[in-house]
Amino acid sequence: MNHYETLFVVKPTLTDEETKAQIEKNIAIITDNGGEIVAIDDMGMRKLAYPVEKNERGYYTVVYHKAPATLIAELERQMRYNEDVLKFMTVKYAKKKEIAQYDKMVAAVVKKNDAPAAQPKQEEAPAPEATEPAAEPAKEEA
Amino acid sequence: MAERRKFKKRYCRYCEQKVEFIDYKDLNLLKFSLSERFKIMPRRLTGNCKRHQEMVTVAIKRARQTALIPYVVDRKNVVDNPFELIR
Ligand SMILES: [Zn+2]
Repeated sequence: MNHYETLFVVKPTLTDEETKAQIEKNIAIITDNGGEIVAIDDMGMRKLAYPVEKNERGYYTVVYHKAPATLIAELERQMRYNEDVLKFMTVKYAKKKEIAQYDKMVAAVVKKNDAPAAQPKQEEAPAPEATEPAAEPAKEEA
Repeated sequence: MAERRKFKKRYCRYCEQKVEFIDYKDLNLLKFSLSERFKIMPRRLTGNCKRHQEMVTVAIKRARQTALIPYVVDRKNVVDNPFELIR
């Protein structure tokens, strides 16, 4: 069993229930193949940094799990076939330091999930955007 | 040149914060090492130490792959508000 973290992005065009079903489906692949879920971080709908299959947004989920190596191949194969999954990536945490970090991230996720009250403030804050311009035009000609 | 001035005092910000591992989802940590066009800044400008530069490079590439930050920002490929992504 290794420590893994799998991030996947579900299409924004699905309804809430369909999105939920997709997430559960992917989690089921892990549990059905001998994996063990450690924590689930629901990052929610986010703007993608660049369009993926013409979608501007996506629903991010991060699953922390322990699994045998063979599971990852199967998981990635199924996600590749799944048209509702725009992006996915699995990261393995193997070294001692990485595992320490893994435990830290899991703890942070668990804490976040336990305190759902803090959740909704993310949307409103109109993002400080004053920092950007100034230096930009100078290097335009490059 | 404009960028050089910004990083005049050179020291590794990650060492300063005692960062042991850089998570690719933690965009605030990646921010120090990205230019305005989301390129990876060279070590000679940011002052990052070699160990942290290698970590941040991997993290940035992972973040790009998962569409958390863009690969390129140019005239064809404009991000309306790039700093919205890094909050
Ligand atoms: Zn350092």
